[in-house]
Amino acid sequence: MQNIEAINIKNIKEEPKVSYLTNGFTLKSWLLTKDHKRIAILYLITVSAFFALGGIYASLIRLELLTPASDLLQSATYNRVFTQHGIIMVFFFLIPSIPAILGNFLIPIMIGAKDLAFPRINLLSWYFYMAGGGLTLYALLQGGVDTGWTFYTPYSTTFSNGYVMAVGLGIFINGFSSILTGLNFIVTVHTMRAPGMTWFRLPLFVWAHYATSLVMILGTPVIAITILLMALERLAKIGIFDPAIGGDPILFQHLFWFYSHPAVYIMILPGMGVISELISNFSRKKIFGYEFIAFSSIAIAVFGFLVWGHHMFVSGQSVYAGLVFSFLTMVVAIPSAIKVFNWAATLYKGQISYDTPMLYALFFIGLFLIGGLTGLFLGSMGLTVHLTDTYFIVAHFHYVMVGGQVLAYLGGLHYWWSKITGKMYSEFWSKIAAIIVFVGFNLTFFPQFILGYLGMPRRYASYPEELQVLNIFSTAGASILAIGLIIPLIYFTYSIFFGAKAPSNPWMLPGLEWRTASPPPTENFEETPIVTWEAYEFGEESGLDLEDARNRDRVTV
Amino acid sequence: MAEKIKTATESESHQHEEHHVVPLSYYFMVFGVLVVGTILTYFVATIDLDTIFPGANTLVALLIAFFKMGCVVLIFMHVRWSSKLIWLTAIAGFFWLAIMFAFTMQDYLTRGAGVFTR
Amino acid sequence: MATHADALHDDHYHAPGLQHQFEDMGQQQESASIGMWMFLVQEIMFFGGLFTVYLVFRSKYPMAFAAGSNHLDAFWGGLNTLVLIVSSLTMALAVRSAQLGRRNAQVIFIVVTMIFGTVFLAVKAIEYTAKYKEGIVPVAGLNMKTAKTPGTYPNARELSTRTGDTQDPKESLNTGVSEANTHETGEHSYYNPGGTFVWTDVSLAVQAQQGNYLTESEKIGYFSNGELNANKFRDKVRIFFWIYFVMTGLHALHMIIGLGLMAWLAWKAWMGTYTADYYSPVEMSGLYWHFVDIVWIFLFPLLYLLGRHFLHGGGH
Repeated sequence: MQNIEAINIKNIKEEPKVSYLTNGFTLKSWLLTKDHKRIAILYLITVSAFFALGGIYASLIRLELLTPASDLLQSATYNRVFTQHGIIMVFFFLIPSIPAILGNFLIPIMIGAKDLAFPRINLLSWYFYMAGGGLTLYALLQGGVDTGWTFYTPYSTTFSNGYVMAVGLGIFINGFSSILTGLNFIVTVHTMRAPGMTWFRLPLFVWAHYATSLVMILGTPVIAITILLMALERLAKIGIFDPAIGGDPILFQHLFWFYSHPAVYIMILPGMGVISELISNFSRKKIFGYEFIAFSSIAIAVFGFLVWGHHMFVSGQSVYAGLVFSFLTMVVAIPSAIKVFNWAATLYKGQISYDTPMLYALFFIGLFLIGGLTGLFLGSMGLTVHLTDTYFIVAHFHYVMVGGQVLAYLGGLHYWWSKITGKMYSEFWSKIAAIIVFVGFNLTFFPQFILGYLGMPRRYASYPEELQVLNIFSTAGASILAIGLIIPLIYFTYSIFFGAKAPSNPWMLPGLEWRTASPPPTENFEETPIVTWEAYEFGEESGLDLEDARNRDRVTV
Repeated sequence: MAEKIKTATESESHQHEEHHVVPLSYYFMVFGVLVVGTILTYFVATIDLDTIFPGANTLVALLIAFFKMGCVVLIFMHVRWSSKLIWLTAIAGFFWLAIMFAFTMQDYLTRGAGVFTR
Repeated sequence: MATHADALHDDHYHAPGLQHQFEDMGQQQESASIGMWMFLVQEIMFFGGLFTVYLVFRSKYPMAFAAGSNHLDAFWGGLNTLVLIVSSLTMALAVRSAQLGRRNAQVIFIVVTMIFGTVFLAVKAIEYTAKYKEGIVPVAGLNMKTAKTPGTYPNARELSTRTGDTQDPKESLNTGVSEANTHETGEHSYYNPGGTFVWTDVSLAVQAQQGNYLTESEKIGYFSNGELNANKFRDKVRIFFWIYFVMTGLHALHMIIGLGLMAWLAWKAWMGTYTADYYSPVEMSGLYWHFVDIVWIFLFPLLYLLGRHFLHGGGH
């Protein structure tokens, strides 16, 4: 049964007069908005700014590591630089990016709702982000912290003389942003779905965000209490993390990683949600194993809470606990693998079009595979003893975080850019940038696997001379990667001012978000949609023609 | 459209909790149970039960506390008449707490020479 | 700022309190309910971190915990438990009144709940002040400072072999020095010029050593060179009091927030905002209040009662 008389899924001929962007031009209408789409834009601007700042710190790291000696930066400064890079990237970019930008914008539209369940709480979550980010930024500019983003005790509680309290407080406040976003998403998916939008008709993007939100709610409060305890310990010196007085530094690590491991699933699950959308839509084929992918997201969210000890194998944790965590680490890889297999099966015999979002999606699969498999190496206790605290770890997490999450974020941004801004970017430049990013990324981080294997420790400003060549490759790659990331900034900005006007469904796809104008009106749909079709329906019933899609206009300038 | 399609809220097992008024007697009974439970906890704590097995006192105290919590959650917080989703949410919260306790303690309890070294 | 598609709503009856993003009150009420429960789950995990810390340290140093716990006044703790239970009842009755559309009853019950909540905080203030006076606030400088003639204070070596009087835990704080030399603001006869954490009662550690039920951590943690070290024991007791203050302090903070919430709720109820059709905010506030009660239901036995059975020579 189709429903095309209710909603036109070919491009909407009549443009609505007012979109969410033109519905109010005052600063107040933006800063006090309840519209989830405007809040997403607020996040887009601020998250991008933090990403740029984190990138600057990354450049400092790579510049310092061009030479074996600690010549550009002293060790003490270098400690602050890599800490700053980690804190900004983890807490202010990776965790909020896809959920707060793409999730906020798209989830109500994808489920056919007018807005999220709690629009004012949505706005509040942005203000928490700004408050936390502002405080952390202030502390960083004052000189920052040198403890590593992991704040291990007793250094952070007893010996460090950086701005541990201020940065801790900034992260604490930022945590509320995460919790409120997660809370909002869960309630929205439960109660705000349009008529006919059953759970198994939801786009996998929504499933992924639902799973992410579970992790946000269950995990973030624990980092909050951990930071509170660290701050109190720093003030009062009771000794709960000090072995000399009877405390245990490993307790801090348990509490810290209880959140921080699930946090990496907060980072990657939305990315995987984006990839499911991209793979299916750009193969013009219904995703293979919908239920498996949906449930694997939930499985990752649940199992992700059982493996945190794999960050602590060599810390002094008991070997038996290590055994349990190691086993469960192997288990948690299975749902991720299920997704990769399903994506590959979706591609098989699909009508693949190599638009930029698809390029990012394909790159993601390869790079996430490498990152994920190296995670298994690290999860096995025998191997991890040699690889802990080396560049192998750095390479592993950058493969999953940058090669995975950042590429998924860029892919999603490109895919939905026309929906968000109503403008088309240049397909030519975007493809060039994607390829530059891929080449630059691999050149940066693949040598780091080798470096780690050869024993180069992480968080050191100097290293043995014989490792310099690989470090030079890495820095060269980093500059290429930086260029690849700056180019989108240029063409995206250009497109906002001079880009071609986007039709409602430029990619000619059946998703619900493509059945409203680009950019959408404030209440998302002219009339509440009534969903009678399954997710990813590419057949003739959906009313979209493959030839039309192949012959659609592609903007190249 | 030929058939009426259920709204999302109707298609959820949406128990109309707002129409269910809990009888006063339930509230007072729970109140009584809670007060008795508190007094019981206080006096049992003064008796040494550790001769039965170490930790017996703590176990009894926790059992009473869990029972009291159960009464508050089910009756005062209306979970008894709430949807399955709310049940699941309440249980999930405690399950996650249990994960945090269990997986942390599995480290501490296995650090000595053997398992559960006292 | 957001303009509605007004055509959509023209023929809709807008129930009072219906927010623009919802189709009907049922959807709004269900959303509020799920939302509040998600928030409570998050609160469970927040307190859970502290319970984990408690669990770890209690399993490592049970005797220090028992000793510290015995110096908490279980009377006040028990009273507070009963106070909160009554407040939970009145809160539940407030929700019920709102459900039945009774404005005056709602307001009365909310106000009574607030009164009991305030009593709870007042008792906590009494308790904390008592700790201040007894010198068992774990942070140096935050205890009452007492002066004394130096030289009359027994040294640590004398203390470490004393078994102490286990009949009345408070007596052990009295080091037996002359009452006459008390500081004018102090009521105790111990010397604490810096307002540091003072602890001298090692009786439970001695008892456990004799009964051979010290844990491995305790065997290292209380002793140096094979002898019981009162300062090391004191440090572990201080960890107990730290956990006590942080957990009850965080709980008290949630109570204060709860009182603020209740004040707002009472005012809105007085204005007649809540009727049988729209009482969800009362119910959601009730959920929060009950949650705070539940946390205390666990805190009371775990903090106040854990060591009682060691008194009078008990224990295993």
